[in-house]
Amino acid sequence: MSTTVNGIIDRKGFGTGTWAIDSEDGQTYELHKPPSELQKKGLKVKVEGKIRDDIMTLAMIGPVLEVQKFEILK
Amino acid sequence: MRKLVLAGLFLVGLIWAIASFSGLAAQGTYDRIVLDFREDVDAAQIEQQVQTIAQKYNVRPRLNSEFSQPDHLYTVKGDKALLNALKHDLKQYTEYVEPDYIYSIPESQDSRVNVSIGKEASPIQASQAPNDPMYSQQWNLHSINVESSWQDTKGKGATVAVIDTGISEVPDLKETSFAKGYDFVNDREDARDDNGHGTHVAGTIAQSTNNGFGVAGIAYEATLMPLKVLSASGGGTVADIAEAIRFAADHGANVINMSLGGGGESSAMAEAIDYAHKKGVLVIAAAGNSGQNSASYPARYPHVLGVAALDSSGQKADYSNFGAGVDVSAPGGSTSEENAAGGILQNTIDPSTGESTFAAFQGTSMAAPHVAGVAALVSASGVKDPDEVAAALTQSARKVQDDELNHYGAGKLDAAAAVKLALKGKITFNDFFQWLRDSGYLNPRFWIDGGVVALVPKLAMVVGSYLLAFFLRNYFPFAWSWSMASGLIAGSSGLFFLKGIYIFDLPQAPLRVMGSSIPELGSSIQGSGALNPLFASVLIPLALVVLLLGHAQWKWFAIGSTIGVTACLAVSAAIDPQLMWLGDGALARGFLIVNALLCYGLVWLAIKPGDKIA
Repeated sequence: MSTTVNGIIDRKGFGTGTWAIDSEDGQTYELHKPPSELQKKGLKVKVEGKIRDDIMTLAMIGPVLEVQKFEILK
Repeated sequence: MRKLVLAGLFLVGLIWAIASFSGLAAQGTYDRIVLDFREDVDAAQIEQQVQTIAQKYNVRPRLNSEFSQPDHLYTVKGDKALLNALKHDLKQYTEYVEPDYIYSIPESQDSRVNVSIGKEASPIQASQAPNDPMYSQQWNLHSINVESSWQDTKGKGATVAVIDTGISEVPDLKETSFAKGYDFVNDREDARDDNGHGTHVAGTIAQSTNNGFGVAGIAYEATLMPLKVLSASGGGTVADIAEAIRFAADHGANVINMSLGGGGESSAMAEAIDYAHKKGVLVIAAAGNSGQNSASYPARYPHVLGVAALDSSGQKADYSNFGAGVDVSAPGGSTSEENAAGGILQNTIDPSTGESTFAAFQGTSMAAPHVAGVAALVSASGVKDPDEVAAALTQSARKVQDDELNHYGAGKLDAAAAVKLALKGKITFNDFFQWLRDSGYLNPRFWIDGGVVALVPKLAMVVGSYLLAFFLRNYFPFAWSWSMASGLIAGSSGLFFLKGIYIFDLPQAPLRVMGSSIPELGSSIQGSGALNPLFASVLIPLALVVLLLGHAQWKWFAIGSTIGVTACLAVSAAIDPQLMWLGDGALARGFLIVNALLCYGLVWLAIKPGDKIA
């Protein structure tokens, strides 16, 4: 099942740091192995991906989103 | 005459005490001398002085450490004669020249056998601090009271499996013992860390301590079992984690630490946890960092101790999950870009270079290994059954008053109290709800916090209201009825046990409202321990009496609840007079007493002599 998230990329300070997207509706998603284009704090993006229910992480900041498609918004 | 004798004895005692007091300094041993040059002496002059004494006394002064350059702090090998000579020679250049005392932790068993009680007091207490130079920055270890627990055990004999990103044997883990582990990500025996998280977590549990280097750990004589399930990017599959749990259970782990979470419910994982529990392993997991109500998986599974994080002020850290699934709380720290001192400091690796580094991290990831470390201490004290270890940890935790939203679980972790309780060997399971949950009488979607309700005041309120009713019955005989009894309960305590029940992922407020008595209703949605003075007053009983007095049966509900409120307000005034806006002082107490009296007067007026139920 594919999920689309509009939001802003952030770097969360757990462990040595984790890439995340803070969605417009207030939910934080942890990005699973994000492409390097998305690894930029403050970037406004639209990300399409899959929620990985079978993955646990050390950051524990919210659902894990595996990016399939993304679009950088101006 | 008697006074004179007593005064004389006192004087003799005092003189003896002073004469026999040799001073703290004389108790230390040293073979090195510290030279601290004044800040206003320029570097060239210091260099010249250092060279001079090196030649004159044939010694080699050295900077104390790589951090000593700005302070011009040198050390030199030497004895008392050299100390006095240097004091004389360097007087005008130095702030001080003094012995570099050697501090060490007394081996608890031996020192207690040899040292008589009279001399035991302060010097031993002071020297419990390990000699790790950065120990003073570990506020977290001070706050869990770990030093006192080291008098009894340092975790020897206990094995803690760290299910994480692996563990690298950084310099400050050199003296720590390791069991064979496994890397489930790359399927190999070498479970070294490529992220830095697992090594940090392992450090909190068993960093080499009292080794004169770096920082300290909690159960530093325990054995670590490195199990790598998270990749360098910090994620891993439920399948690998479940396998790692079974591996730990099959290879002699006593405690499992999982500073990880997320995902959905998995029966593979739940079964692995049950398997470990049956094999006598205590499983500990972080509650999660999304700042939400309810812990994440795996902390919320049965037989897992869920850990919430505290910041350096002892409050719940902003990011920490709370509510259902949180069993206990421990330091997780809180760092910001400007300030790392609020984090948990351990030795780990820098993932970009693989080199050793000391880093301050934050998270429930850091809180869980505090509990795992103390669990290892408890296990090493002889308590092996995982339920008993868990009970020792939660029952000894420092309770937090008015924790209505369950930020803290049973309370804040206390290592010394946990070990003391374990050594007493009497761990009781007085938590009825815990038993009920574990016995499977409740659906696993529910979670029960046995500690949320202060039982004694609640019972005092119910019993008090019944006693009041009995008392009044002497004057105005009336028959007991269901409406009367339910009024007494509603007014005094409410269905208070409902407050301790949580349903995962649902707000707990409805249960809190149902579990509240009339005076508590005004603050139950916010989950505040303070009463709302509009509700904790004569107002609602008055309204009930006015509305229901005409009804033959409901009238008794109104009277019953007024009696109940009387008892509730009186008990609150006596035990815990906390009111919104009015504080918890004399003003609040006065308000409660006046309203309790008004309620009592209202009952008196409402029951007419000889009134009986129709």
